[in-house]
Amino acid sequence: MQRDNYKNERDKYFKEIENLNHPNETLVKTHCSYCAMQCGMNLRVNTKTNKIIGVEPRYDWPVTLGKMCPKGVTAYQQVNHKDRLLKPLIRDDQSLKGTKNGFREASWDEAYELIVKRFTDLQKNYGKDSVSVYSGVSMTNEKCYLTGKFARVALQTRYIDYNGRFCMASAAGGLNRSLGIDRGSTIPWTDVHETDCIFLAGSNTADCHPTMMFRVWGIQERGGYVIVADPRETPVARRADLHLDLKPGTDLALANGIVNLLIQNGYADEEFVKNHTNGFEETKELVKEFTPEYTSEITGVAPEKIIRAAELYGKAPNAIVMFARGIEQQIKGVDNVSAYTNMALVTGKIGRAKSGVATITGQGNGQGGREHGQKADALPGYRKIANPDHVKYVSKVWGIEPEEMPKEGVSAFEMFGLMEQKTIRALYLLCSNPAVSAPDQNYVREQMKNLDFMVCVDFFLSESAEFADVVLPTTTWAEDEGTTTNVEGRIIKINRAQMPLGESKPDWQIQIEIAERLGRGKYFSHLKTSKDVFNELRVASKGGTADYYGVTWEKIDKQDGVFWPCKDESDPGTPHLFLDKKFNHPDGKAKILALPDRPSAEVPDEKYPLHLTTGRVVYHYLSGNQTRRIQFLRDMCPEPFVEVHPETAEKYSIEHEEYVRLYTRRGEATYKVKITEAIRKDTVFVPYHWGHEKSINLLTIGALDPYSRMPEFKTCAAQIEKMKTRAVQ
Amino acid sequence: MKKRLYLELENCIGCRSCLAACTQCGGHEERNRNYVYDVNPLLNRQTMPLMCLHCVNPACARSCPAQAIQIHETGAVLSALVEKCIGCQNCTIACPYGIPKFDTEQNLMYKCDLCIDRSKDGIPPMCASVCPTNTLQWLTDDEIEAKQKQFNLDNGKWVTSLPYLEGETNVKVNLPGILQGVTKLF
Ligand code: SF4
Ligand code: SF4
Repeated sequence: MQRDNYKNERDKYFKEIENLNHPNETLVKTHCSYCAMQCGMNLRVNTKTNKIIGVEPRYDWPVTLGKMCPKGVTAYQQVNHKDRLLKPLIRDDQSLKGTKNGFREASWDEAYELIVKRFTDLQKNYGKDSVSVYSGVSMTNEKCYLTGKFARVALQTRYIDYNGRFCMASAAGGLNRSLGIDRGSTIPWTDVHETDCIFLAGSNTADCHPTMMFRVWGIQERGGYVIVADPRETPVARRADLHLDLKPGTDLALANGIVNLLIQNGYADEEFVKNHTNGFEETKELVKEFTPEYTSEITGVAPEKIIRAAELYGKAPNAIVMFARGIEQQIKGVDNVSAYTNMALVTGKIGRAKSGVATITGQGNGQGGREHGQKADALPGYRKIANPDHVKYVSKVWGIEPEEMPKEGVSAFEMFGLMEQKTIRALYLLCSNPAVSAPDQNYVREQMKNLDFMVCVDFFLSESAEFADVVLPTTTWAEDEGTTTNVEGRIIKINRAQMPLGESKPDWQIQIEIAERLGRGKYFSHLKTSKDVFNELRVASKGGTADYYGVTWEKIDKQDGVFWPCKDESDPGTPHLFLDKKFNHPDGKAKILALPDRPSAEVPDEKYPLHLTTGRVVYHYLSGNQTRRIQFLRDMCPEPFVEVHPETAEKYSIEHEEYVRLYTRRGEATYKVKITEAIRKDTVFVPYHWGHEKSINLLTIGALDPYSRMPEFKTCAAQIEKMKTRAVQ
Repeated sequence: MKKRLYLELENCIGCRSCLAACTQCGGHEERNRNYVYDVNPLLNRQTMPLMCLHCVNPACARSCPAQAIQIHETGAVLSALVEKCIGCQNCTIACPYGIPKFDTEQNLMYKCDLCIDRSKDGIPPMCASVCPTNTLQWLTDDEIEAKQKQFNLDNGKWVTSLPYLEGETNVKVNLPGILQGVTKLF
């Protein structure tokens, strides 16, 4: 195998800078709690009170060099926030479900007793699978791993899934299918500014992953090219060399159109294609139809721009294709991922430094959290529950018989369907807020309300907690230690800077204590610390695709993170994938896939003539349960808005900052209008970080990608109505 | 080696992390002291930071009847001294960039001091530390000179040197258009 010379090198942006140390303070190095950039930061801790009181840049973290977005800068304000849940809460009056009311404080013992009694009763009457677990990936690998084991071994249910279905599932599906492995990036992020052309598809990079922007601008500063495909002129699209302003939901056609031109114009790398890929001829045949004119008809992008994009990407000595939720949150998300990956496979721009493919992971541990078994069909180390050998191996690590391993469950959104059918009667929800983040909210909230029993584990009373019978207070990221796996596939260390506030406990501890009370302690009680959990994860992942066996906390510290796979103690990890041009399919070849185009689940018509697309703003994270409580972030963006093109606004006689009613077949909401030319005339955009009546997910559609089961957040058909009387908010 | 704040306006994405970070400087009482401006919000997402430029001969200090605005030996123009500021607000009017802010409750002017407890020891101010786009950078004079060569626009206008502004500033600003001077790789 070719050697990877990458040594976490200090790149041209790196500077030796000493931190400012205030008197009576220590600095605890860690990473941000929010997105997968996982920016390095130091938390300032007062040595007298032992409380976190601020943040100091972490200049020597090689990926982000002290940089942070406003969420990261203010992240520490979550820890000692006045809204923190400090004790377990119980609500006795079921009729108050769906409101904030009726909760009383309780002891951990009382809460545990109630949970165990209700779970046991329901499982006795309706079977083990009547209890479900719905998790998230904004938490450490240790917690994600243990949650999978908790569901299968302690609760013995098949129904576990996680919010990655709204985030990374399509990328995972597409990368697995094309490359045989789902590590979000084939290159370390320190390569980004060194490439000659970056193709960003469906990534609002400046708002969603701001701290990679200096590297994106660095490409242009060197004379390289930035190409952005997005229905909106986002801040990165504004300065891009080329902005492909496509209609929402038409990525597959655009990618096919570009691949066609790459092949027609001689940019295919025939040697590479022949030796390292399958499927070129079929794909070549299929994409022929996607001439610039035909592609333009579907996508709304001018033919010249499509031609120019293929020319720039084709000519670039090194190029990177990157994508994000814009292309993934569609019913053809998996196909979109494979179709854009085709660009790299046809031209051979993968498997070397400064060239490759990456999905820009959303949640902090969106990568690690999908590898270790909290997905309905997965077991640790990216193993599959459908594979008897995989089940055998993991059963042995867990100390159960393979027959005891529950079967594959269903995806996150489909769990609500099973709640409706009463197949699922109880829910253990952690690290997620589906009462804001799931599509088709009217439906989802109804299902949560109808549950026989629901537990919500969180550190703030989220919108979803309003449906719970028991709320358990967990810790924030800064009150526990463990690892996450960042956007690059680099495993990094989160450190504890403060002891848990009030009576809050880390999720892994809560799960062990419940397991013990369920009589399953023998599988859990040996885990005394999060490090114990990590060491068990290492063994459980050993030999799997996502092999963490050779990763130790000490190694992470010593070499600024470890890229998986890392097979043993002497293995430094794998920053660049495929340097030997061996892909992870059995024959070592990657798949170039012929992917016919198809329409979105709902396309605009006379009654609903507009595309509705949703996304993020830089000031908020996911469902906003954390960031909406931070004063600075709330001041900067207090409420959602609808972006409308001035010509569209004129058509509806609506003005800037006026409130309008926006509706789809599923729901409606009222938003303040933000007029901007930075959006297509046929499209409106609303950010999704708000709950209750402000949630744009009241309007979005629950249509799922057939492979990844990811909902189509990025496009549905909508209509605007001017309000009769002007609403006062 | 002496370092200066250097601005490349074209890089700004409007994330306002610089403002969030400003509140985190130990000496700033959690109030941010600069501005980020939406250039034409109805048109596009262009934004730019409006930072104190720490003039060599600052109008704010000159306008102050009470000598409340001191200039640090590094050149940083400091916030008004509590014991001297009489709350007349002359400085807020005198500054050509509108930088000094006024706290009516305390009857006191406050402004960017380049995080003086950091910058006096060469540590970058909070804004330049966190700025995700390198709009705000903390550079030596040599590095700034290299920038000037790299982004030479043939019009001599890469720094704020327009006559109606306040003359020489300690902070160097690169006006929008930095990419005009770049030769494309292919
Ligand atoms: S939210 Fe993401 S980009 Fe912002 S500071 Fe945190 S990790 Fe960095
Ligand atoms: S931190 Fe940088 S990019 Fe963000 S608003 Fe300030 S100057 Fe602009």
